[in-house]
Amino acid sequence: MVRLAPLDLDKIEDSELRDLIAQCEELGVPHGLFPRIVARVPAQAKVVIAQLIEAHTKGNVPHRLKELMRIQLARFVDDPYFASLRSTQAVADGMTEEMVDAACEDYEDSELFDEAERMALRFSEQLFLDADKVDKVFYDALRKHWSDAEIMEMGAFIATYYAVQLFMKTLDAGPVAA
Amino acid sequence: MRYVEKISTDPDSFGDADWDDLRAHLSEEEIAELGLFLAFNLGFHTFFGSLKFYPMFSPDGRLVSQEESEKIYGARPESLQGQAAE
Repeated sequence: MVRLAPLDLDKIEDSELRDLIAQCEELGVPHGLFPRIVARVPAQAKVVIAQLIEAHTKGNVPHRLKELMRIQLARFVDDPYFASLRSTQAVADGMTEEMVDAACEDYEDSELFDEAERMALRFSEQLFLDADKVDKVFYDALRKHWSDAEIMEMGAFIATYYAVQLFMKTLDAGPVAA
Repeated sequence: MRYVEKISTDPDSFGDADWDDLRAHLSEEEIAELGLFLAFNLGFHTFFGSLKFYPMFSPDGRLVSQEESEKIYGARPESLQGQAAE
């Protein structure tokens, strides 16, 4: 049982927050459960949910790649809720479970990814596995494939989703049924 | 303080007893607020720490370059000194 139960939708009076939750359900990520938990603090929840949607669905870095980075982080954090979610847009863009497993386990050797994608997956993995390895040499290598704006987009995306996935892990939420 | 320490160093160790302790002192609204605050700070401090930028001002209030600031504040931003000492 989740340590902080999600609020019932009819208990959430803020229409802007309800609209954001509906978007989360439609996108598949972050789904509706997490937003309904943090809806206890409506002002903060609106900012956080809008940032989750913005970071994941907007920008120049391919959405499918960001979804793979997000799942890699969720598995790394060992959060069953976020690890079970799949972006409907990423799936429509061709993301498969084979790609998900490869991104989490053997992206270095997988032919499913090009070198730019491997660098991005190294970034999300190393930033929270061993941040000391994300040094000047690493950023110089990242810059060969991605612009500074794209690196900032990925960094903010990684930080944002790592944060909420870590918080959700402490709430002990289970996976969402496919 | 216990929550921030465990969530940042070993989130698996934050068990039911810790959760009950937290509930004894904070409301569900406060726990949600605190959890988001802590998690976002952890996430963004880790990212920003990797970018290696330093305070814009010296301890005596002068605007300094990043090179000079690095010499003043050391190999890591001052806010991470506690973590670096571990």
